[in-house]
Amino acid sequence: MRGIVVTVLAIGFMTSVFAQNVSYQQDPKWQAPAEALARANPLAQKPEATAGGKKLFQRNCVECHGATGTGLEKKRAADLQLTAVQQQTDGALFWKITNGNTDRGMPSFSRLPELQRWQLVLYLRTLTPTMDSQQK
Amino acid sequence: MPRYFLALLVMIGTVLPCAAQESPYFVTYDHHLEEPGNLEIETFSTMGIPRSGQHLYAAPYMELGYGVTGRWTSELYLEGQGTAGDSTVFTGWRWENRFRPLKREHFLNPILYLEYENINEASRIQKEIVGGGPNITSPNSELQPVKAHELETKLILSSTVHDWNIAGNFTVEKNLSESEGFEFGYAFGFARPLASLASGRECRFCRENFIAGMEFYGGLGTTEAGFSAHNTAHYVAPVVSWQVSDNSSFHFSPAIALTHEGSLVLIRFGYGYEIRGFGSKLAQFFGGKR
Repeated sequence: MRGIVVTVLAIGFMTSVFAQNVSYQQDPKWQAPAEALARANPLAQKPEATAGGKKLFQRNCVECHGATGTGLEKKRAADLQLTAVQQQTDGALFWKITNGNTDRGMPSFSRLPELQRWQLVLYLRTLTPTMDSQQK
Repeated sequence: MPRYFLALLVMIGTVLPCAAQESPYFVTYDHHLEEPGNLEIETFSTMGIPRSGQHLYAAPYMELGYGVTGRWTSELYLEGQGTAGDSTVFTGWRWENRFRPLKREHFLNPILYLEYENINEASRIQKEIVGGGPNITSPNSELQPVKAHELETKLILSSTVHDWNIAGNFTVEKNLSESEGFEFGYAFGFARPLASLASGRECRFCRENFIAGMEFYGGLGTTEAGFSAHNTAHYVAPVVSWQVSDNSSFHFSPAIALTHEGSLVLIRFGYGYEIRGFGSKLAQFFGGKR
């Protein structure tokens, strides 16, 4: 009896390992509320903080969005150079980093201190569109 | 079989590491779950500094935590215990699951926790303290044969206020092997990083790599003896975690007893290593398309 219980639990654990959905598609429902859109970046006048944002990006975002932010296809991650992304307000980007879109594979980064999330927004603004991403 | 095992080890070594901004708590849970597809391997130890009539003990445990989805983390624990002047024993395993019911961040973020424990009464890792706390006076030869199949649930409430994390847990545990009542426990913690801004340079000892805080935990009695904070162990514990590298962290916490139950001091320490993309690599290894 104990063997059966252990087997069932082991299968359950392994099933959970394979049950993950890593595919990402842009979610039209993933919209920041109005009050979040209006928030200004408190580091906007501190461009020197961008270097820290780059480091945070490399640590936390490169895995899915790639080193240049164009998004890894196999992760179905957003191309952060796209106009559709860059046109969003600082507040919207901050809200998306903070909340994530957990059902679509984008984790919440609320564990990062608030200013570090704003540093990430600063760095996202430096991602220059390439020809490839403009054609997408 | 050894060939597969070797291949698995090579795969683990080649997957990308990631930044593990880990919670510094040992007992309290906050609302941050594992990122989907990541595997976290952690080894911890709880060392009990004895009172008069007790013995020094060390209870190491290994934790394998996996982000199944963005809202579901599953963890497997293997634990043991060694007591000075007594013996070293394997004390069992646990399977823990944490679920995040709400999609977005809120002022108060609830997490539902469900754990099955197949342990014995010699367990002393004290990942939670419920009822009157663990038996740390009887010899292992008496405790190890007494098996405990336990079901544990927690309500985790956690909040981010500026750079602070504030979290509270309420625990209910039921031993399915014995006809005893429900046991209760609590944990409460707060912590924050030592620096709010990230510096532009790579550094190991920057303040931003440290998170410090405090946690409080203890038992709240049983349905049989009464729901009460009396006659049970309570601890106050400063906690600190250090992000040693992008993918590893070190944790330390000395917990000081506030009552006469339990150990005088619990010294807790541990090391965690996080592997990003483990799920997809494992699926590829077994022929999946990820």
